[in-house]
Amino acid sequence: MLDPFLLWLESTAFSTWVRESTSIFAFPIILAVHTIGLGLLAGLNAALDLRLLGFAARIPVVEFRRFLPVMWLGLSLNVISGIALLIAYPTKALTNPVFYLKLGLIAVALSILRMVRRRALTEGAMPDTLKKLALASLVCWAGAIAAGRLLAYTYRRLMVDF
Amino acid sequence: MGAFQAWLVQTLASVDLVEGFMRTRWGWPAMESVHFMGLTLLFGSIAAWDLRLLGVAKRVPIAAFHRLVPFAVLGFAINASSGSMFLMTEPDQYIYNRAFHFKLMFLALAGFNVLVFYLTIFRRVRALGPGAPEPHLARISGGVSLICWIGVIICGRLITFYRPDLCGAAVGFLADCIIR
Repeated sequence: MLDPFLLWLESTAFSTWVRESTSIFAFPIILAVHTIGLGLLAGLNAALDLRLLGFAARIPVVEFRRFLPVMWLGLSLNVISGIALLIAYPTKALTNPVFYLKLGLIAVALSILRMVRRRALTEGAMPDTLKKLALASLVCWAGAIAAGRLLAYTYRRLMVDF
Repeated sequence: MGAFQAWLVQTLASVDLVEGFMRTRWGWPAMESVHFMGLTLLFGSIAAWDLRLLGVAKRVPIAAFHRLVPFAVLGFAINASSGSMFLMTEPDQYIYNRAFHFKLMFLALAGFNVLVFYLTIFRRVRALGPGAPEPHLARISGGVSLICWIGVIICGRLITFYRPDLCGAAVGFLADCIIR
């Protein structure tokens, strides 16, 4: 049902370029950018989670809002690079349940970040539920990372007619 | 250099500590996942620290941020261990890999930067109160560190595109790579 769309997407110039170009700026650098975005977003979020769990307690939690712009930069890098990678191999991702698991975990992690931002980074409140949210955030990011890495090993179809 | 690389490959290949596990169906993918989680922990904690050295969240004393450094060390330990497992399982894929050479170079630079930081200005920086201007050397250290770790990530990600069998086994070390 999805196949005609996937076939069309795979035949577009951009998809073909990302997939087949021998330039280092095609697939390899897009993948590297995706990893840097991961480090910025999930990495700084992990530092924030560790603070919420009670480590580095002398840093006021609200001060982590200074890192939000860098985290949004990481998110932007990964939305853009992620879409480029998806256009390169749409069948590979969209026919693999693990890809949807990865997206779901990222969605949960981002909504936790939104809640934390509202409660702790803006209002300065520190209810106990924040610790649970921090733990859940760490678990979600770890799960998203594992799911992302396993995409390379769990796909059933690489391309529509391959 | 060629003889040294050959010896290194042979020596690493002779270690049979992890190969059995790494060659199981999910051994290698599982360790890759661990390696990326370690990357996230290491890069996230070190980025927060480096950004503070560069002047972000100025109202917090630098000493308070230093409590994040142990997590960077933990991330590094996770990645040195998982990285060694890849290296011991497929030594020639790394020892003759140009991207891996550059990754090691950035790692060495990052290490040197840390060493210089602790030997020169750490004591002075730790004593700074909230809002105090960071010494130039602290800013430089933070900037160099960020660049080095981004370099490590890029080169690490590129390893798979520079597998030595694609460009001939006679690939030399760094010097040759730059000339090419």
